[in-house]
Amino acid sequence: MLRLPRFTYHEPTTVGEAVRLFTEAMPDVAYVAGGTDLYPNMKRRQQTPATVIALHRIPELRAIAGTPESGMTIGACVTLTELAAHEAVRLRYPAVSHAAHVVSTPILRNMGTIGGNLLLDTRCNYYDQNYEWRKAINFCMKRDGEICWVAPSSPRCWAVQSSDGVPVAVALGADVTVTSVRGTRRLPAAGLYRNDGIQYLEKGPDELLVAYHLPPVRDGDWRATYRKLRRRDAFDFPVLGVAARVDFARDGSVSAARIVLGAVASYPQEISAAADAIIGTRLDEGAIGAAADAAYRPAKPMDNTDFTLAWRKEMVRVHVQRALQDIRAQNT
Amino acid sequence: MPAVGTNVPRKDSTEKVTGTARYVDDLVFPGMLHARTIRSTIPRGRIRDVRLSFDRAGFTIIDHRDVTGRNVVALIEDDQPLLAEREIRHVAEPILLLAHEDLDTLRRARVDIDYEPLEPLFDPTRSTQLLKDLRIVKGDVEQALAGAEVVVEGEYRTGHQEQLYIEPNGVIAVPENGGVTVHGSLQCPFYVHKALRIALGLPDDRIRVVQTETGGGFGGKEEYPSVIAAHAALLALKAKRPVKLIYDRLEDMLATTKRHPSIVRHRTGVTRDGRLVAMDIEVLMDGGAYVTLSPVVLSRGAIHAAGPYRCDHVRIEARAVGTNTPPNGAFRGFGAPQTQFAVEVQMERIAEALSMDPARLRELNALRPGDTTATGQRVEADCSALQVLQQAVERSDFHGKRERYAGTNRGIGLSLFFHGAGFTGSGEVKLASRAALCTTERGVRILVGSAEIGQGTRTMHAQIVADSLGIPYEDVETGLPDTSNVPDSGPTVASRTCMVVGGILQRCASDLRERIGDMHPREHFTKHGATVVTKEYEPPHGIAWDDDTYRGDAYATYAWACDVAEVEMDPDTYEIRPIHFTAVQDIGKAIHPVLVAGQIEGGTAQGIGYALIEEVVMREGAMANAQMTNYLVPTTLDTPTMDVVIVETPSHHGPFGAKGVGEMPIDGPAPAIVNAIRHLGLDIRQIPATPERIAEAACVSA
Ligand SMILES: Cc1cc2nc3c(=O)[nH]c(=O)nc-3n(C[C@H](O)[C@H](O)[C@H](O)COP(=O)(O)OP(=O)(O)OC[C@H]3O[C@@H](n4cnc5c(N)ncnc54)[C@H](O)[C@@H]3O)c2cc1C
Ligand code: SF4
Repeated sequence: MLRLPRFTYHEPTTVGEAVRLFTEAMPDVAYVAGGTDLYPNMKRRQQTPATVIALHRIPELRAIAGTPESGMTIGACVTLTELAAHEAVRLRYPAVSHAAHVVSTPILRNMGTIGGNLLLDTRCNYYDQNYEWRKAINFCMKRDGEICWVAPSSPRCWAVQSSDGVPVAVALGADVTVTSVRGTRRLPAAGLYRNDGIQYLEKGPDELLVAYHLPPVRDGDWRATYRKLRRRDAFDFPVLGVAARVDFARDGSVSAARIVLGAVASYPQEISAAADAIIGTRLDEGAIGAAADAAYRPAKPMDNTDFTLAWRKEMVRVHVQRALQDIRAQNT
Repeated sequence: MPAVGTNVPRKDSTEKVTGTARYVDDLVFPGMLHARTIRSTIPRGRIRDVRLSFDRAGFTIIDHRDVTGRNVVALIEDDQPLLAEREIRHVAEPILLLAHEDLDTLRRARVDIDYEPLEPLFDPTRSTQLLKDLRIVKGDVEQALAGAEVVVEGEYRTGHQEQLYIEPNGVIAVPENGGVTVHGSLQCPFYVHKALRIALGLPDDRIRVVQTETGGGFGGKEEYPSVIAAHAALLALKAKRPVKLIYDRLEDMLATTKRHPSIVRHRTGVTRDGRLVAMDIEVLMDGGAYVTLSPVVLSRGAIHAAGPYRCDHVRIEARAVGTNTPPNGAFRGFGAPQTQFAVEVQMERIAEALSMDPARLRELNALRPGDTTATGQRVEADCSALQVLQQAVERSDFHGKRERYAGTNRGIGLSLFFHGAGFTGSGEVKLASRAALCTTERGVRILVGSAEIGQGTRTMHAQIVADSLGIPYEDVETGLPDTSNVPDSGPTVASRTCMVVGGILQRCASDLRERIGDMHPREHFTKHGATVVTKEYEPPHGIAWDDDTYRGDAYATYAWACDVAEVEMDPDTYEIRPIHFTAVQDIGKAIHPVLVAGQIEGGTAQGIGYALIEEVVMREGAMANAQMTNYLVPTTLDTPTMDVVIVETPSHHGPFGAKGVGEMPIDGPAPAIVNAIRHLGLDIRQIPATPERIAEAACVSA
């Protein structure tokens, strides 16, 4: 059985107390929400913080506020089960609710939070292994080692962005609020991620994710969807995720669009060429096909997840096409 | 009220549901040490040097020189060392054992091993190391093939499969009474007992093996516990303290046995109207680095290789060869899933070649009572291949759906199969299993070496005994086998625990009844004290088997089944989703219908995994996906609705007509699914049929 290393554990009840405790314990410290990512990582000794600061007793982080018309604010510690079941979210932000619902299993969704989901560590078949396994290959540069086993001549890590929630947040144009003793800032979700398997976040480790802000949605002005590829219908992380938001003009033509791929790079990869292919169209098959082609070309999955490379790349085309067909169907 | 045929509460349910059942890792002994195995990291080579780079205080350390008996895992051949001496034949081969009181100190201990690497061999077709070969010959195949109107050839491949029992392998060895007691998660206490006797060089009565509640086995705890038990016992005897050795999931997947990969070639001669005239079959199994159980896996595989069909001219040539991967071993089905996958896909291709309905082809050729199998065994009145086929075809609306699905993204396919109950050939006679009953103040206690591994052994045995004695089920006591107080009932394998051991218990019961007259055993116990009745296996009349020629009655009887799989394929991604499954299985008599249906449903789910997603990725001789996030088995969401039909054509060999049910359900799903994919126009001859593989097949057929 894999066991947790020893660590000091705090359960603050306010955001202020949490960020203060964090700063005091820096640098060897981590926040934990549901712990469904952090604790397994600690058991595998991928992360070994001496202090862990739990966020689940902070009421402010557990609230869902606002309305679809004005935009909604989801507290970072809202669980995936709560998010998926929330009525307004389910009806007006079906992509958000669906992406939460397809994470893993009911048991994990009861513990896992949307905040943890948006900050989920990147993944790789050479990395998500226990200590002994990694030691046997002499580790890799993401932790304890020198080289990358996926691309041995590469100076960087290619671990994969593997959260279902992240591509949706970026495609929607959602914002997040983060806070630390240094201050509070609100930034677009897209600005939170970097294309690097190790430094995958554009935020300080001390910055606590407070809230996830869903943009306003009025009847039919935009639609969004999420599609996930995996081998089974439960448990598995996405091997490809496609999130799309399409905005419609009054006449029903596409006025703006954002198509974002998950699990093909270390960050959520926005494919603007794919969006360009549908702007001004009415999502006819030709336009959708052009968008799917445009997404397929730059998608460069690495050989570090389930399924073979060539097939995964081929699936980008299929899933982008289907995502856009979903949106067309929603709109009629 | 009779217990047999009803769904009485399981004997082990209260403890398991309330969490009071104790598994091996729940046990703690005073002064107990934890143990760890240091394993090879290369697939082939020689050990040059072993360096212990840690402070040895508090450690017990063992290598091959500390083996007090013989340094072998005693099984069929004595080729596998308990601890490698110099030669390394596979990754994860045990070299050194460490024990320490503190788990963290134990884990931190660093051992460096230098090797002289040698070129490993992974391709079984290139192996020259023969582990076992055998030949089954009936009639004259060459001549029959030469005269056949149509000849169909094909090659079929199956991969490794991991048992993935919920509880990994684990034992605790406790030095006591001048010897050692091993408590562990295991299927065959007496196999472990024998292996310990040889490894430790101790007399029988100094060794005791006690099964702890066991979280699944599927064959994976048939032979491997002998290795881990010997390791722990050696440490315990040296340290003079109890030693706990538990594998984590990674180690369990990396080091322990899996299902043998296979390559099976068929050359079949048929008449234009669909009668089988000749079956020429070559079976190759990859045994991995040591012999372990390969000869018997191969033997069962070969005997089932021609399927449940009548054919006068059959030749089966079977070989198991060595490669530099960890040894493969027992896994539910034991060779039969591999060979019946091949023959059932071959049958489908024959139907295609003849433009014939696949159910009709099977109907024409299915064994009927009085026909002979490939080994020349005359099947008896309980041969119901034709009935299960007809019932499955009707029940699933096979023909209607075959037509309606044509040209859509749905496909339907079937498989007809059988499974011999009990040990192959003279196995049961050699085993000479025993079982016993003992009167108690409650009623009667069952004394057997059979293990409950989740399948319901205790419950089913208690039902048989209750009805045979005519006492309530509640008055029958059962327990975990302990070699110091139960007779050797043989291993809990080969679908033999009901038919063979249950049969002996039934005879014990009638003997006991004679002795105690009309009394309730409890009454008799109060008046006369404990009475024990022990019986030994008696070979059924008229059963004859020749080990040298592989002719004769391979099994006392067979169970028969037909599976129908319906699948849906995503036309762009080639992902396959099973949507409905019909399993019609004749197992003689369902002693406990719910447990039987559970075996069929579970075996079917495991077979669906084998067919579609379970892939052991081998990289340089080591399993690269040795964890449950990467080695995937179907979840409930990936398992279709199942229509399970239990057919009961009694066999006069088993108690109340029962045969075996544990293994057969895993023989049929893979070919049924692949045949359903074939109905979609895709030529798949290898499993798992992953979307990548199907996409490739689609490119070829396009
Ligand atoms: C078997 C299994 C399957 C899974 N399948 C999926 C899947 O299909 N899709 C998917 O998206 N995910 C999956 N996950 C990952 C994970 O369960 C989810 O992403 C979950 O939402 C993570 O949330 P959490 O609250 O448990 O995160 P935690 O483990 O608590 O935290 C995750 C990370 O975020 C940090 N963190 C958490 N909250 C905050 C905060 N408010 N501010 C700052 N930092 C914070 C933590 O320090 C940690 O680094 C799976 C996990 C497992 C074990
Ligand atoms: S991509 Fe390379 S460096 Fe990153 S986790 Fe995988 S093997 Fe390690």
